[in-house]
Amino acid sequence: MTADTPTLTVEREIEATAEELFDAWLDPESLAVWMRPGDIPRTDATVDARVGGTFKIVMHGSEKDYVHTGTYRRIDRPKKLVFTWVSEATYQRETLVTVVFQRTGKKTKVILTHEQLPDEAAANSHRGGWTSAIEKLAESKNG
Amino acid sequence: MTHGRLDLLFGAVSDPTRRAILARLAVKNARVTELAEDFPISLNSTSKHIKMLERAGLVHRLVVGRDHVLSLNAAPLRDAAAWIETYRRFWEDRLAALDAFVTAKRAGKTATAKGRTRK
Repeated sequence: MTADTPTLTVEREIEATAEELFDAWLDPESLAVWMRPGDIPRTDATVDARVGGTFKIVMHGSEKDYVHTGTYRRIDRPKKLVFTWVSEATYQRETLVTVVFQRTGKKTKVILTHEQLPDEAAANSHRGGWTSAIEKLAESKNG
Repeated sequence: MTHGRLDLLFGAVSDPTRRAILARLAVKNARVTELAEDFPISLNSTSKHIKMLERAGLVHRLVVGRDHVLSLNAAPLRDAAAWIETYRRFWEDRLAALDAFVTAKRAGKTATAKGRTRK
C-alpha cells in the first residue's frame, strides 16, 4: 500500500472463522449472493482462483449490467487476499483491493483497503497523506 | 469526471510540493513569484508545478498586467473525495452482506445438523 494514492479502508468484525470468510470471496456461488446490492436483482460471478487468475462479477441491474473484473495478485488463505478491481466506477482504470482477515477470539476482523494505483508519473513521488490532504482541501471555501 | 481527468488529478496531487502549494492557495490567492519565495524551490520549478496543477484544473491563473495571480479551484478534489466516499459505502454494504451471508450459512448448517439429530 502506498500513501500517495487515494485510499479507503473499511473494517467489519464478523462472527465467523477466517476460513469461512476467506472462502466466500473466492466461491462464485457465494459471491453471487453477497455481491448483490439491494437494487440489483441478480449477480453472476466467475472465478479462476489462482494468482494471475481473473474474476468477473456481473451485477444485473433492471436497466443495465454493472461489470467488475480483476486479477488475483495474492491468495494467502485464510489471511490475505489481494486483487485488482476494474469497473465503470473506477473509469475502467485498474485499482487494487487488499482484504486482510484477522482472528479476534470467536470473531474475525475483515479489513478491506481499496486504493488507486499510482500512474507512472506518480509512482516515484514522495510520501504524504493523499486522502486526508484532498479531503481537507475539498472542504476549502475556494472553488 | 473522465478517466483522463482523474489521471491528471491524481498525478497533480501525488507530489508533496504541489499539495503544499494547494494548501497555501487555500488560505489566500498568490502570485507565482510569491509562491516561489514561500517554497525552497526555484521559480522555474515552481512554474512547472503550477502548470501541472493548472492542467488538472486545480489552479486558476488570472493575468492582471504583469501579475499572474493564482487561485485554488477545489471542485476537482471534491470529485476525488466523492469517488472515495462512493466506494467506502459500497464496501461497507458488501461487508455487511458478507456478514449476513456467512451468518445465514451457519444457521442453515446448524438447522440441518439439528434435523439430522432428530431423525
